[in-house]
Amino acid sequence: MEALKLSSKKNKRTIEEINEKIRTGNVQVLTAEEMKKLVESSGVEVAFKEVDVVTTGTFGAMCSSGAIINVGHSDPPIKIQKAWINDVEVCHSGAAVDLYVGATVMSERQPFEYGGGHIIEDLVSGKEVELKAMAYGTDCYPRTQVKTNLTKDDLNQFYLLNFRNCYQRYNCAVNSRDETIYTYMGKLLPRLKNATFSGAGELNPLMNDPDYETIGMGTRIFLGGTQGYVIGEGTQHDPQNRFGTIMIRGDAKKMSPEFLRGASFTRYGTTLYVGLGIPIPILNEGLVKKTAIRDEEIFTNVVDYGVPRRDRPKLAKVSYKELKSGSITVGDRRIRVSSLSSLKTARKIAGTLKSWIENGEFFLTAPVERLPVDSVFKPMRQTEEVSFVANVMQKAVTCSETEAVQAIAERIVTRSVNHIVMVDGSGKLTGIVTSWDITRALAQGKTALADIVTRRVITAKPDEPLETASKRMAQHNISALPVIDNEKKVLGIVTAEDVSKLLGR
Amino acid sequence: MVRILLRFSENIVEEPIISQIIIELKVPINIITAHVDSKGGEVLAEVPDEALKKVVKAFRKRGATVSIPKLIEIDSEKCVSCGACITLCPIEAITMDEDASVVFNQEKCLGSTCSACVDACPTRAIKSVKQNSSEVAANNAH
Repeated sequence: MEALKLSSKKNKRTIEEINEKIRTGNVQVLTAEEMKKLVESSGVEVAFKEVDVVTTGTFGAMCSSGAIINVGHSDPPIKIQKAWINDVEVCHSGAAVDLYVGATVMSERQPFEYGGGHIIEDLVSGKEVELKAMAYGTDCYPRTQVKTNLTKDDLNQFYLLNFRNCYQRYNCAVNSRDETIYTYMGKLLPRLKNATFSGAGELNPLMNDPDYETIGMGTRIFLGGTQGYVIGEGTQHDPQNRFGTIMIRGDAKKMSPEFLRGASFTRYGTTLYVGLGIPIPILNEGLVKKTAIRDEEIFTNVVDYGVPRRDRPKLAKVSYKELKSGSITVGDRRIRVSSLSSLKTARKIAGTLKSWIENGEFFLTAPVERLPVDSVFKPMRQTEEVSFVANVMQKAVTCSETEAVQAIAERIVTRSVNHIVMVDGSGKLTGIVTSWDITRALAQGKTALADIVTRRVITAKPDEPLETASKRMAQHNISALPVIDNEKKVLGIVTAEDVSKLLGR
Repeated sequence: MVRILLRFSENIVEEPIISQIIIELKVPINIITAHVDSKGGEVLAEVPDEALKKVVKAFRKRGATVSIPKLIEIDSEKCVSCGACITLCPIEAITMDEDASVVFNQEKCLGSTCSACVDACPTRAIKSVKQNSSEVAANNAH
């Protein structure tokens, strides 16, 4: 009996035991990167014996972040109806003077450059911000306007309250279109010329405890340079696909701008970079194996953000090892890849958390409720139909390069169209001629089609939403887009006329 | 037009590199300032924007050092070393070193004519540096 008891004791460790070791200064802590090396060199058993806690870290753009602030009552008091801080609208959804600063809300004066994330950073840095608010006025809250300057010291509460943070892993993004696109995954060059990814891979908090054995409501964490808490699973938590997320809270007054940064993604919007680290208590050998996970074992999909749909094409599967190497392979192509999150800061977070625990400044907590492992992330139920290019495109009237301008002019009249699509022998797009081109050719006495055809044609794909195709026409100031497949074969044409007919319906 | 700073080492200073490149690429290269002696040479020249890449490549192929003087500035306080800029640089002048810090190679940078990395920086740590007025005047003089 005694021997059995002893062996069971050897195979397990409790959070209380770890906290006692922290108290007495005997705790053994490794960062996740160090842990992997130790398990590799000495094995699971030794690592379990030697390590009590593994620290993790991540520092990246986390859009579903924000801060709840209480600004106190003015005299006479106001029940704020609408409010702005530094020209960024903040949300008022409570009683009178509680405001939620959403990270992605943009400044009205400098949209895309300054936003909620920057306000949070400015307040954290001790800077003064300007609050403007208005109200309809009530008998109990008579004031209708207020304007004042505030620092974090003037606020009653200033809590970071993020409803979705710390994705376990994320997509790697590329763009198949002919133009550069600006996304929440950064600037994506045309025709798969670059790729971007996010996440710390083997240093990521949730990746080191993928079954959420030790993480849940009440888990104490590193957050923005101070101690914070997990308050449950994050929105869109998708554990079965290894896209887990957490909801977190922490006292922003104690945070540091080094780990909380406002950021701007060109033509996408503003956000907040959040620094977050979770200590994983090594309670059993299973957790040793889990925290030993390497970048080469963590995979994600290369996703084509050039397709503006919910389910974007997945072009390849890559590991975080490849992502961190600077280039990935898609088909037979080598594509350079950029990170959007900072590995350097993620490492610093794991290291800082390690030293806090070693110095007896940070004690572990057991979750009062673990994160769900079986919940599902559903798409939106849509009760209204959406139109795609395929729904409105018409048969294209075509021509070949060898035809004369006169023949094209006649075709425009007989078929009563404004656009003739030029194709080669196999039906692939080679150019476009408009009635305007023909008019100009006649005026200038040109007879060869080759002299007047436009060869850099702006096109559409059949499964593209009509809205984006219509936007592209407006952007290039044109009135039709040939619809092509991936092989450039012409499937039809969509015109501005067809679009307005549909929208006017 | 773009200004480029060419440096020729002792070994190659006697070769007619600029003339060779003008003839080979059929690109007008405008020499703004030149200082050449037996120890090497330094030439500030102007080339048309659209020819910049091939001209720079051609000079480098022949052993000259090409730079665009102080055209980009990195605010190290703002930079978080995320690396979002790295793949946007057409000439791979931005790299990540061993400790995951982002490093800019100012020598290689093409500067304001490129600026592909500037709007990709989430913390707006990269700035294209404008030429100062005396330099602009020097350019306009030609």
